[in-house]
Amino acid sequence: MTRPGWFRRLWALSTGRFGIIVVAAVGLTAVVAMFWTPFDPQHVDVDERWLPPSWPHVLGTDGSGRDILSLLMAGAKTTVWVALGAGLVATALGLVLAALGALTTRWVRESVAVLVDILIAFPVLLIAMMISSVWGGSLWVVIVSVGIGFGVNIARVTRPELRRVLHSDFVLAGRAAGLTPFQNLWRHLLPGVAPVFIVQLSWGMAVAVLAEAGLSYLGFGAPVTEPSWGLLLKDLQAYISVHPLTVVWPGLAITVTVLGLNLLGDGLREATDPTLSRRTAAARIHQPEVIA
Amino acid sequence: MLRRTTVAAAALLAAGALLLSACTGNTSPAPSTSAAADPDASVAVRLVSEPSNLDIRETAGAALDQILIDNVYQGLVSRTPDQEIVDTLASSHDVSADGLTYTFTLREGVTFHDGQELTPADVVWSLQQVKDNATYRDSARLERVSSITASGQDIVLTLSEPDSSLLWNLTGRAGLVLKEGDTVDRKTAANGTGPYALTAWKKGDSITLERNDAYWGDAPQVAEIVLDFIPDTQAALSGALAGELDVVTGFDANLTDQIEANGAFAVVLGKSTDKGTLAMNSTSGPLADKRVRQAIRQAIDHDAIVTALGAGQTQYGPIPELDPGYEDLSDTAPFDPEAAKKLLADAGAEGTTITLTIPAFYGTTVSQILVSNLNDVGITLKVDQVEFPTWLNDVYMNKDYELSFVLHTEARDFENWANPDYYFAYDNPEVQKLYEQSLSETDPDASADLLAQAARLVAEDQAADWLYNGASVVAVSSNVTGFPSVNVNERLNLADVAKS
Amino acid sequence: MTRYALTRLALLLLGLFVASALIFLTLRVLPGDVAQLIAGVNSTPEQVEAIREGLGLNQPLPVQYLTWIGGVLRGDLGTSLLTGTPVVDELVQKGEVTIPLGLLSMTVALVIALPLGVLSAMRRGHRDGTALSVGAQAVAAVPVVWAGMMLVLVFAVWLGILPAQGFPRSGWDDPAAALRALLLPALTIGVVEGAMLLRFVRSATLQATGEDFVRTAAAKGLTRNQALIRHGLPTVGLSIITVLGLQVAGIIVGAVVIEQLFSLPGIGRMLVTDVGNRDLPMVQGELLVLTGFVLIVGFIVDLVHRVLDPRQREAE
Repeated sequence: MTRPGWFRRLWALSTGRFGIIVVAAVGLTAVVAMFWTPFDPQHVDVDERWLPPSWPHVLGTDGSGRDILSLLMAGAKTTVWVALGAGLVATALGLVLAALGALTTRWVRESVAVLVDILIAFPVLLIAMMISSVWGGSLWVVIVSVGIGFGVNIARVTRPELRRVLHSDFVLAGRAAGLTPFQNLWRHLLPGVAPVFIVQLSWGMAVAVLAEAGLSYLGFGAPVTEPSWGLLLKDLQAYISVHPLTVVWPGLAITVTVLGLNLLGDGLREATDPTLSRRTAAARIHQPEVIA
Repeated sequence: MLRRTTVAAAALLAAGALLLSACTGNTSPAPSTSAAADPDASVAVRLVSEPSNLDIRETAGAALDQILIDNVYQGLVSRTPDQEIVDTLASSHDVSADGLTYTFTLREGVTFHDGQELTPADVVWSLQQVKDNATYRDSARLERVSSITASGQDIVLTLSEPDSSLLWNLTGRAGLVLKEGDTVDRKTAANGTGPYALTAWKKGDSITLERNDAYWGDAPQVAEIVLDFIPDTQAALSGALAGELDVVTGFDANLTDQIEANGAFAVVLGKSTDKGTLAMNSTSGPLADKRVRQAIRQAIDHDAIVTALGAGQTQYGPIPELDPGYEDLSDTAPFDPEAAKKLLADAGAEGTTITLTIPAFYGTTVSQILVSNLNDVGITLKVDQVEFPTWLNDVYMNKDYELSFVLHTEARDFENWANPDYYFAYDNPEVQKLYEQSLSETDPDASADLLAQAARLVAEDQAADWLYNGASVVAVSSNVTGFPSVNVNERLNLADVAKS
Repeated sequence: MTRYALTRLALLLLGLFVASALIFLTLRVLPGDVAQLIAGVNSTPEQVEAIREGLGLNQPLPVQYLTWIGGVLRGDLGTSLLTGTPVVDELVQKGEVTIPLGLLSMTVALVIALPLGVLSAMRRGHRDGTALSVGAQAVAAVPVVWAGMMLVLVFAVWLGILPAQGFPRSGWDDPAAALRALLLPALTIGVVEGAMLLRFVRSATLQATGEDFVRTAAAKGLTRNQALIRHGLPTVGLSIITVLGLQVAGIIVGAVVIEQLFSLPGIGRMLVTDVGNRDLPMVQGELLVLTGFVLIVGFIVDLVHRVLDPRQREAE
């Protein structure tokens, strides 16, 4: 794929554009939040509880008097951290499994394929519960669970692509020219599978954000000291009948981010290779399961 | 002489102004209609947490005390909401002048729920079991009892030394009477003498208590009480407003307006012996330095915590207002962040990170306030929320913690401060001596005074911080009367409940 | 076909084995002593050791695993560490709530996704088609928990027509009340799942329009929509079946969170409580049942798919 080409194509698509904007906004907020937020998100002020959106608390305050906007911004940090972490784990696991499933001897390939198919059935949340029951909940649990759950997905989708590219002319030529398998991999295979891979990653990060919300709500995700959108939902839910508006903010933040990532994935899929859809129908239809 | 105490699983109460009940600790129940009580009524009561099993002998947790004591199991004596001791399974009792002999005359005609008659042998067996089995809760509370015998209908306890807290202890787990040789599985069922029989336990959902028609005293005015376990505040509120619940215990005072909105409910506040205890492990690390512990205490804005909870009062020492020996010890560590910073600087402990271990069901308000307050003086607080069994394992059993927060609901549990093996890891021989003296002292006022002295020492040693003294916050439906309002998180005597 | 079925069955059994092994291993890596936890606060080392023996914790791991699996095959999933009640009994009781909830949710999801998905594909390029597609994307992005909160706010708090929490104590003795209690939860899960499913239906329908036989049908004089309905939909049906299998996992996951929100005494909520209590036998049993269920559904779906799709058989 040619570099300038796909990005411009992506931007041209409404899905792609929306996705890019949202992801950029969240990322930017997270970066800004590392240095500055309107208030210290942890700062409790018992006299300022449950303020409606007003100045200086633009989105109001919660039950402990903490500024909601600052909490949202700090939460963006957590979201980015979880999404990237899960993405990294998923990437590593996915590529390893895909490589094993495509590049090695037949026996290993078949076993890995079977293993991947089995692991696909493990819902991410159940993986998270399993890990939580041993180590207690934390953001790491979220990252690892989504990483595993999604890494397997990536492997499943990337493997056929890997095999396709493996037998393509470029790669054969490379082997004929005497390139080592590793050099081949680097120069031809990876760029070949990158499109499918990046699309899956985008969807995977959406799953990570939803997973963080659900797991933090259950108490197996973010700890009290780590502002997160999922945790905010949990805290504010206790007073939903008295202050319904407050719950809207974290929920909206999560929804918009997930939507952005999903649309980015959709857009990437169209922009990187429109012919892809015909050849790998399975990849196109196959979507991550909802995480809650 | 060392005792153990139970730790409670009570929900945190939330916002509103500082509301206190009347001095006697008794508030009148919600006004009822003048309609007669319905003898076939079923009352649905919300409880916050469910016990893991029903073993009253060996399982910790105040949930069991709430459900089983006074309702299903009974002792020779019991306590009233005014913290007075009254005869229950004993028709009368007598204490010798030297305080070494206690004689209880057992009531006749009492039967267990399975129909068997209560005999003095059952009482002797029950008490002896508690005394002999170190693994039974409150076993150490009978330490000064040297012999338990029965003669006719009388049960005689002979002591090696006077014990001013014995009668009180007999109103708790130590004094419960079970049937000798009972084959019932204590973990899943309960065979007692109380006004209610435990007829059903739907795990994860509810426990049903049905009226014991063969009860020796006044049978309850309701046919059954269903205890619904609803940890979620919002769900409890919705359940109440929808008419699915008649009483909501552990209610969030911040939601008072909500539940009283349509006039069907009234929130009743009562005093309690709930002590929000921030234990500090002084055996190692920065907390070994008294200045650091004092700094932490002075950094915390206790008034803010009480405001955020919406009910209760501040607490600066180990003994709450309802218990003998209470004194306002705020002078030992008044709120002063500047002084706290200075203390930390003196101790060379600015910028330390300390970890707080807290069971997950307490909600996040207290944690958030602590994080914020300590941050203001330069301490970074990490919060480790764990499940209660994990807390029991890590903190209670292995003392593997730095700061720990738990709501101790038990009344008169000062002995924990006189027990160096308790998870507080506090060892002050002077305190232990004063405590022993208070037990041996037969004059109640003198005894209370000794306790007060000991409590002051504990506070001056900065052994821990007490974040608040919780109130019992109960929302009662307007057609329900007789629901207890004092110390509800520890005792829930449902004998007088009526619904019209 | 039989060969396929047998291979697939072998895969299923392998899958169940791997799943059970993974569950077993992960939970055995517990830091801290399970026996100590049961023995309690004032226990002596002898008591702890006795409990270890009783639980078989001193056996080598493979033996423990085989003992457990042996029990499972006989229908004995172990007993709770805390109450001693058999895991199977708890699962059956809690299943009374979760299974109907799952079925209801799936029904809602299908009712939303099928007609709207096809519609959105047929109206592609038009404003309403795009609106449906975008709307579905937006709803699919909503965290299920939040959706539940919003629905509770509207239907239970403001309108007061549905219960905000709980399940009738009498269970299914009063079917009307039980259904009312499950309605909002099922709606919550169903709507979000439905939105996701809608996108699949749409994709699958669109894919079908590209198929040769649909084009041929169009060449024969049928309109695009007629061709779609007469020839495309069966193909779409197949893809839906595949996806339904995947959705089962999503519904189980949704149920775990929703049961917590609505205080429903189901398997999901029990799992959360047991994980928190470190009640290993219960967690093991519950996880095994849930993942086993997902695997078995996947197996059935695959078989049905094969039976119904002639092309697959030829492609083999």
